[in-house]
Amino acid sequence: MSKRIVLGIFFSLIAVSFNKTVPRSNAQEPVSFTKDILPVLEQNCWKCHGQAMQSSRLNLTTREGALQGGARGSAIVPGRAEDSRLYRMIGGLDKPAMPMGGKLAPEQILKIKNWIDQGAHWDATDVASKAAPADVSQWAELENKQLPPGARNYWAFKLPVQAPVPVVSRQFQNPIDRFLEKTRQDKGLKAAPKADRLTLLRRAYMDLIGLPPSPADTDAFMNDTAPGAWERVIDKLLASPHYGERWGRHWLDVARYGDSGGYQNDVDRPNFWRYRDYVIKSFNDDKPYNTFIKEQIAGDEIPNRTDDSLIATGFMRAGPRVQNRERDNPERRFDYLDDVLGAIGKGMLGLTVQCARCHDHKFDPILQKDYYAMEASIYGYVELDYPLGPREQADAYMRTITEIGEKVSALRDKIEDIEKPYHDKLALEEIRKKYPPEMVRAVEKPESERTPGEKLLATQLLESAVSIRSAAVDKVIPPEDAAKKKELNDQIAALNKARPKAGAMAHIVTDGDWRAAAPGGGDFTKGACPKCELEYVGAGKFIELGPGPGNYKVPSSHFLVRGDPDSKAYPTKPGFLSVITYGNPPTELPPADRRTSGRRLAFAEWLTSRDNPLPARVIVNRIWHHHFGRGIVSTLDNFGKMGEQPTHPELLDWLAVEFVDRGWSIKQMHRLIMTSEAYQMASDYMDASSTAKDPDNKYLWRHNIQRLEGEIIRDSIMAVAGTLDLTMGGPPIFPHVDEVLLKSLDRGIWRNQEDGPKVWRRSVYIYAKRTLPFPLVHVFDLADQSVSFGARNVSTIPTQALTLMNNEFVLRQAQLFADRIKKEAGDDVAKQIDLGYRLALTRVPTEKELSLASDLIGSGSLLDFTDVLLNLSEFVYVR
Amino acid sequence: MKTIWSRRDFLFQSGGGIAGVALAQMLQHEGLLAGARAAGADACSAPPIGSNPLSPKPPHFKPRAKAVISLFMTGGPSHVDTFDYKPGLEKYAGQVLGGDVRVRQGWPGPIMPSIFKFKKYGQCGKDVSELFPNLGTKVDEIAFIHSLQGRSNDHVQSTYEMQTGQIRMGFPSMGCWITYGLGSENANLPGFIVLQDARGGPLAGPNNWQSGFLPATYQGTPFGGADNPIVDLKPPAGVTPEQQRRRLDMLVRLNEMHAERYPGSSELAARISSYELAYRMQGCAPEAVDITNESPATKKLYGLDEKITEPFGKQCLMARRLVERGVRFVQVFSGGLGNQNTETWDAHLNIKENHTLHAKETDLPITGLLTDLKARGLLDSTLVIWHAEFGRMPLSQNGVGRDHNPGAVTVWMAGAGIKGGQSIGASDEIGYKAERQAMSYHDLHATLLYLLGIEHTKLTYRFNGRDMRLTDVAGELIPQIVG
Repeated sequence: MSKRIVLGIFFSLIAVSFNKTVPRSNAQEPVSFTKDILPVLEQNCWKCHGQAMQSSRLNLTTREGALQGGARGSAIVPGRAEDSRLYRMIGGLDKPAMPMGGKLAPEQILKIKNWIDQGAHWDATDVASKAAPADVSQWAELENKQLPPGARNYWAFKLPVQAPVPVVSRQFQNPIDRFLEKTRQDKGLKAAPKADRLTLLRRAYMDLIGLPPSPADTDAFMNDTAPGAWERVIDKLLASPHYGERWGRHWLDVARYGDSGGYQNDVDRPNFWRYRDYVIKSFNDDKPYNTFIKEQIAGDEIPNRTDDSLIATGFMRAGPRVQNRERDNPERRFDYLDDVLGAIGKGMLGLTVQCARCHDHKFDPILQKDYYAMEASIYGYVELDYPLGPREQADAYMRTITEIGEKVSALRDKIEDIEKPYHDKLALEEIRKKYPPEMVRAVEKPESERTPGEKLLATQLLESAVSIRSAAVDKVIPPEDAAKKKELNDQIAALNKARPKAGAMAHIVTDGDWRAAAPGGGDFTKGACPKCELEYVGAGKFIELGPGPGNYKVPSSHFLVRGDPDSKAYPTKPGFLSVITYGNPPTELPPADRRTSGRRLAFAEWLTSRDNPLPARVIVNRIWHHHFGRGIVSTLDNFGKMGEQPTHPELLDWLAVEFVDRGWSIKQMHRLIMTSEAYQMASDYMDASSTAKDPDNKYLWRHNIQRLEGEIIRDSIMAVAGTLDLTMGGPPIFPHVDEVLLKSLDRGIWRNQEDGPKVWRRSVYIYAKRTLPFPLVHVFDLADQSVSFGARNVSTIPTQALTLMNNEFVLRQAQLFADRIKKEAGDDVAKQIDLGYRLALTRVPTEKELSLASDLIGSGSLLDFTDVLLNLSEFVYVR
Repeated sequence: MKTIWSRRDFLFQSGGGIAGVALAQMLQHEGLLAGARAAGADACSAPPIGSNPLSPKPPHFKPRAKAVISLFMTGGPSHVDTFDYKPGLEKYAGQVLGGDVRVRQGWPGPIMPSIFKFKKYGQCGKDVSELFPNLGTKVDEIAFIHSLQGRSNDHVQSTYEMQTGQIRMGFPSMGCWITYGLGSENANLPGFIVLQDARGGPLAGPNNWQSGFLPATYQGTPFGGADNPIVDLKPPAGVTPEQQRRRLDMLVRLNEMHAERYPGSSELAARISSYELAYRMQGCAPEAVDITNESPATKKLYGLDEKITEPFGKQCLMARRLVERGVRFVQVFSGGLGNQNTETWDAHLNIKENHTLHAKETDLPITGLLTDLKARGLLDSTLVIWHAEFGRMPLSQNGVGRDHNPGAVTVWMAGAGIKGGQSIGASDEIGYKAERQAMSYHDLHATLLYLLGIEHTKLTYRFNGRDMRLTDVAGELIPQIVG
């Protein structure tokens, strides 16, 4: 059954109704359309609202077009200039003022006003030839736009070089300290002494693995008095698989990771946890950061592609997606491309490239044409679910599935044809039962006798209003047709039986034609807007990744004026951000099989080139931020002019170069940073003069205390209670959420699990639901999961207190913590308190604390004590 | 109110000493509190503590209103069947609307008149449909806007736009912005409270009140009934008040000792205060939404004596109590999932049944709310806004329903000293697109902020190097509202 209809009658209601409007006073001079109006339209409007481009879907080359108007409504109300958008916008009465970037002369505006008031008469001129498709050269100005001179004259756009390490009064072993000390000397700040060993141990554990050291870990470190104990504990923690869980989580914030799609349906991404596990594993393997980036952008295109590199491409589709009616809303595709460019821009380049979607960036030299060049570099990507395992097998699976799908679909069409007469009869009966008489009349009339309105009604009713089940048709279908139908159904059943079983699948991207991408469920809406609809180029064709010669072509992309998908200017070529492109790197590196364009690979090579000044700086700054609580550039995702300027620019560059020289190794950066004296300074150090000069400790004269993230608070609670299950990876968990909160959910899944050992796993494994961030983590400032977000907020609010005081999970853990203490320390209250402190805070209690805690346990219970411990500021802060 | 832990007790219990900043703030606050007590205010309306991020902040200029009650009709009521009377629908009944018509479901139908009768009300002679006979009596206090234009015909994207100004995920909603801009008059309650339909959450779910890039402090807090208004507000069964008190006393002692090692840390001081606030909230939040002691006359005013109006009536009455107690922004939802077609305003399938039901549920309670606010002298300082994500098509959907239409959206406002009896802007002859004085949702937001004394271009939050705004780079004040 065709889902398409063509509206035979095109009736412009507005035109008819307002033509009857009585013209206003005729005191004005009669305006000549050809002489006075046409030239104005031609010169000022048609560039964007003409034949070549209909910005905002408005075409001003015909009267019909003007009456019908664009997305905002009609442009002209004949006889009423004051109510006509055309006049209001050129007159500056409505925003945006038109024409863009200019203004008509007052007499021109007045002429147009009078012309509309006089009925907007449109002479029968040969408008079409005048408004012939525009010569693309009119866009040459946009396409050839150059960066302003001196655009590169900003530190972040220059390649980092290692300045000589400063010479300072004291001899430091670690170059980091010499850079920092130089600044402290310049500012007159005095460095804090070294923190005590217990503090350092806790700091290292929290920073690197996000779990407090156990008393045994603590004893081992305290007993290791040989030189190199600190280095040894760092190496031990870097080798721990829990390191990846801690640092992978930081990256998941950058990658805007979610296990669901967001928006109305919040569609489940049942296999996206594989990307999360890929990230954790990559950190644990100390995968070179340049490889890590390449895999995430172009893991399907790299020469030695693996399951892991395919899974990595999940980065490209990690952001929110509607996944419903995409084909009817093609403009969304541009939002998705923007989401990817935003994540790459902020996450990897530290630049707000998204600002250049509609215009050149206002503060940084990021041209709009660069935005669309980068868009062209990723334009071919499509999202698909792809089997893991050997490539031949995976491709064969995809081929078979596609073939079966096509065959089944053809058979279903045949069945529909057989059913149609019976189906339609039943549908009519249903309509008679359910709908008012005038509707029934419309449907019952022969098609030729229906009024235009009745035609619409009949289409609505017959196409989508009633659904007749196949089983209902079976009851009325005569035997010979039933037999034919059965035969076809048997064929379908046989095909379905032959359908290969899906093994492990991953949500990946590769090149294809997004116009053919599956809409992802939902309804099959088609408005009477043929232009809105995308041409469907054939299911599955684009995803064939099997062997054999390919000849993939990226669908054509365009520069979009003001970011409007209806305002296509020149066709774009792939490219990069001019201001940080040195030399002439290739923009396409097509693989031998030509199944993808190689644009993303070229883009990834550019991103990870030594000649790109930003990615290394951006990642070392992120590492620095998570160790010190503040980046050298405190706006982690914005190194542009509106971002904060670096406190230690030379150190940042020194680290960036060092990072690349050391093979883009993140673990080596940890070692380098953590072995500095700066990292080991005390935090509880007071110096009145330094406080006065640098109250925010920007120049690092002491260590910053840092509030732990919600995930780490939850993990630590279980760790000290001795209940944490350290099983790694796999499908996500759904720890219990109060039913009241589930009530406000719209769609998607949340498979609420009972509180208990099954969900007492690390919080990085909690299902990241975009429309319901896990409350216990969210209340402690879990970043918004729909955009790349490097530095979380730290807020202090009563609901955090309520959560730690009253949440059932927390109280249950407090009880289990008490049970553990009792079991391990026996009945001696002093021993209980001692163990509680060592477990929760990595230190022994002071005498005062011991006495207060004894009183508390004496007058109350051990549970009172453990509950208090879990609520302490010291428990939720790294000291 | 015996469950309230008074500040004085708190200080006694904690030994009277508290570190650095917190001490000064709390002592200063003690003075304020003493003043408030002398004036007869109870502990729950005590002014907030200095280090609280929700402390009241001065507006940019003299505000018309201090608080907002948003009545959000999730699903999208039909403007042409409620407040935007269109005789053109009769005139062109059955005809085909030309042009690039986009509907949300299936195919566009012909032009369909309203099945509801309209009648003129008030001095201003406003046409209101028979769906709102009670609200009809209030038209002289209401300013209607008939020419808003949204950018999406999907519920969720459009809801995001109405709430946040953006059709994409991840932006703070207006309640968050307002709470961020002005703080709250009552630190013992959240500044932005959400009262959901008893049937379930609105379309777009919790994203309606999420804070995006703003700190979590400003996020909306959904409130349930008086027995347990906020999740985790009260300790689970088995934890006695004495036990909790003992724990808190110890916690404060130990946290103070810890904070002394980091003098000047406002975060640690705020953390100590936050426990005190949390404790007070435990008593104050249930009280704020406990309607049992309201007079029978008041209850009747909100329709609590009728089954059909009781649920929404309760929401409205709670909203009044919250605003009375200094809550900045209260959002009340009509419609909740469940069955989207019947339990929200999303009248694709049967506009007669759907709108009759939801109008009946809300007409009397909203009228009661306006009456009650006025009687208590609160209407002048409270902005009441009735809105939704979009309106509906002038076209038929299967002869019985109407599809989504963001092209000509009606909202109305009352209170805040707004001139009533106005109809601002106009949709075209059939209510398909805005025709006169077309406005964006940004314009609505700019106007709303203005009424609260906020210049919308100056309410910014620096996120990632950019000064973000509720109104993005747009927003024009609606002159007839701001006067």
